[in-house]
Amino acid sequence: MSLRLRAAVVIAKRRIFESFLNPGYYIAQAVGLLLSYILISGFVSSIDSSGLNYMLHPLYEFIGRLLSGAFGITFLEKLFAEGPFQFVSYVSFVPIFIYLSFSTVFRFSLEKKVGAIELLAYGPVDGTSCFLAFYIKDIILTIFYLLFLILFLIMAALLNNLVLGPAFLYTLVVTFFMAMLLYSISILASVLTDSGASAMVLYIGIILFLLIVIMGSFTIGSAYVRSFSSVLSWLINWFSPFFYWGLALSFLEVGNMLAYFLILLVMMVLSGLFLFLSHQVIKIRGVRP
Amino acid sequence: MKGLLVFFFIFILIGPIVADVPVREEQFIYSIMAFNGRDYSRTFCGENSDTIYLIADQDNFITTSKTLVYYWPITGDWKTDTRSLNYSFEGTLELTEKRRESRIIYPERYTFYNVKGEYEQNWKVAMGDEADKAWQHYQGLIDEYWQATYQYEQAKMAFDLMVDELAMKITEMRNDGIDVTGLVEKLKRLGPPESPKPPDDYIVPPMPVQSAFILNLPRGEYNICFINEDSAVMESSEKRVVVFEKRRADGIGFEVIPGDKWTRPVESKRSSSVLYVNGTTDLYLRPFFQDEYNDLYYQRMIRNDAKGNPSLMNWVYIQQVPGGRIEVTKNNHTSAILVEEPFYVEQTKGSALGYKIVPFDPEGAHKDRDPSLIAFKIPITRETSLIKFELLDNSGLNMAGSSRQVRVIIKSRWQPILLVLCLLPLLVMTVVRMIRSRKYSL
Repeated sequence: MSLRLRAAVVIAKRRIFESFLNPGYYIAQAVGLLLSYILISGFVSSIDSSGLNYMLHPLYEFIGRLLSGAFGITFLEKLFAEGPFQFVSYVSFVPIFIYLSFSTVFRFSLEKKVGAIELLAYGPVDGTSCFLAFYIKDIILTIFYLLFLILFLIMAALLNNLVLGPAFLYTLVVTFFMAMLLYSISILASVLTDSGASAMVLYIGIILFLLIVIMGSFTIGSAYVRSFSSVLSWLINWFSPFFYWGLALSFLEVGNMLAYFLILLVMMVLSGLFLFLSHQVIKIRGVRP
Repeated sequence: MKGLLVFFFIFILIGPIVADVPVREEQFIYSIMAFNGRDYSRTFCGENSDTIYLIADQDNFITTSKTLVYYWPITGDWKTDTRSLNYSFEGTLELTEKRRESRIIYPERYTFYNVKGEYEQNWKVAMGDEADKAWQHYQGLIDEYWQATYQYEQAKMAFDLMVDELAMKITEMRNDGIDVTGLVEKLKRLGPPESPKPPDDYIVPPMPVQSAFILNLPRGEYNICFINEDSAVMESSEKRVVVFEKRRADGIGFEVIPGDKWTRPVESKRSSSVLYVNGTTDLYLRPFFQDEYNDLYYQRMIRNDAKGNPSLMNWVYIQQVPGGRIEVTKNNHTSAILVEEPFYVEQTKGSALGYKIVPFDPEGAHKDRDPSLIAFKIPITRETSLIKFELLDNSGLNMAGSSRQVRVIIKSRWQPILLVLCLLPLLVMTVVRMIRSRKYSL
């Protein structure tokens, strides 16, 4: 193991330990699981003699109207074809993702600004090992959460005679890889800027922009939005985690597993590329703005 | 001032009573008769739409006209008022494929029809003289039928007359005390003439021969414009044509009809689909073949102003699977083979509204009626938590992509465990913080 990687692992361990001592990680987990619980209970209450009836539960009526209005009935049918768990996994992943990536962006930028990283850099570590530590921490904590989420959902499935569905695990894996890619973008955002606030704005801006583009290409509402979004897609799809997420799921749908795993590989490579870019940036700009 | 107030109130009151009349706008339109995989659907592409969607390698018929177009807010779609204005144009269609030379398409005479076969889909398209022949053949059949009907009416009248005369004669003779046995026997032997059957060669008979531009194109994007008799491009006639094809074919879908809502079937289109039910009623299944198309393209082909998702593929019903069987496994233990059965929907007697689906009894209660439903019945009870089924073909082999599962939702009384699990991270957090505070407190 290289010295830089060893340093990154050691710092990551400390960061993970810190996260376990702080309430944020637990609260994000609890919020995610609570959302799962609400969605699963709502789904169970929305079942009648012919299947899922969105009108039976106010939450599902809202979800049904919102999603079918924005993305069409086919989108809704596909999302709930195997049961609630695909949708639940996305929704319950959001709080932990927001907590981890935002805290990374903010903490790293802040530590960079106040000179904490510079202080470390006088020792055996450099800026790259510091941001790598954040990246490793985010990944490890995400894995912890996902494992707990799977256990929770299995329990929920057993108690309600539901089934996780054949695509559930694959979906979760894609979500994890997408998160990896987003974490690397969060690091790039924090090395590109000089303060926590500007890093946060940049990161949120990137995420929102990519989200709007992907949602625009899925929308059924306006042809103008769709065509504008498709033009934008051509330009930015190649580094959009959401695009690869959609692509992997479409390959999964047709059973092309080779292409599915290839997309995961591409996501990993892209994540590595963002980290390499961050490395180059921090090398040029230094660890103190 | 008073008069003004009265006028104002009358205006306010009358406002909602007078219905909004949709504004009709004169537009150049393409009328499209597009093959949708199972039959032909009619739509139009007006000036507010820039693209026509068609399935690849199928005959699609396009005509041009000037008509009135209006938006109908009740159904939320655009409609044409061809009664008020329907002016057809003479001319040609210029079709251009990207990076290729354009070609001119001339209108052709055509008709199409669906002939009887094992499957529902036997669409035939006849063009030019063939179209005339097909139409004449159908007309010949119809003429024959009408002739036979006329002859039948004549024979029936003669028969009725004969029966009346004979009956009258029998009555008179009986009144005179004469033996009528022979005449009664003769009356009994008399059989009514058989009514002719309408021609059943066609499921959908040929339509009268018409003229249209026939587009049968490979997948791709094209541009079209209409060139009138003066060799000028007609205003608003330039459109994009998206020709698409199915991504996957011959998938198996199921129409699932719950016993208590037989008029509201649901479709199970994906092999990974799980059907969750509450177990209060039996399910009736009708398997069908399905093809997978781009959602937006397919919807727009059916109705040019429809909404659809451009990034998703959707399975589309093509035709019912003939002569299959279903293998059902309950709770992973017992398995049984089901065959298609006819059922009849009976209105519930008494004050309670509703109906029940009963097996069709052609000899008894449902004599001279048609079954309401031909389907596979899957009995569902609250005790059967898991039912798996798959479709078998005529030779007993399971058909790919036809397996499904039905799960009866049973809400467990152990639900609070889930809530405790949700709060477990907070519990761990409290413990960790307590340990920390004890460790570092004096």
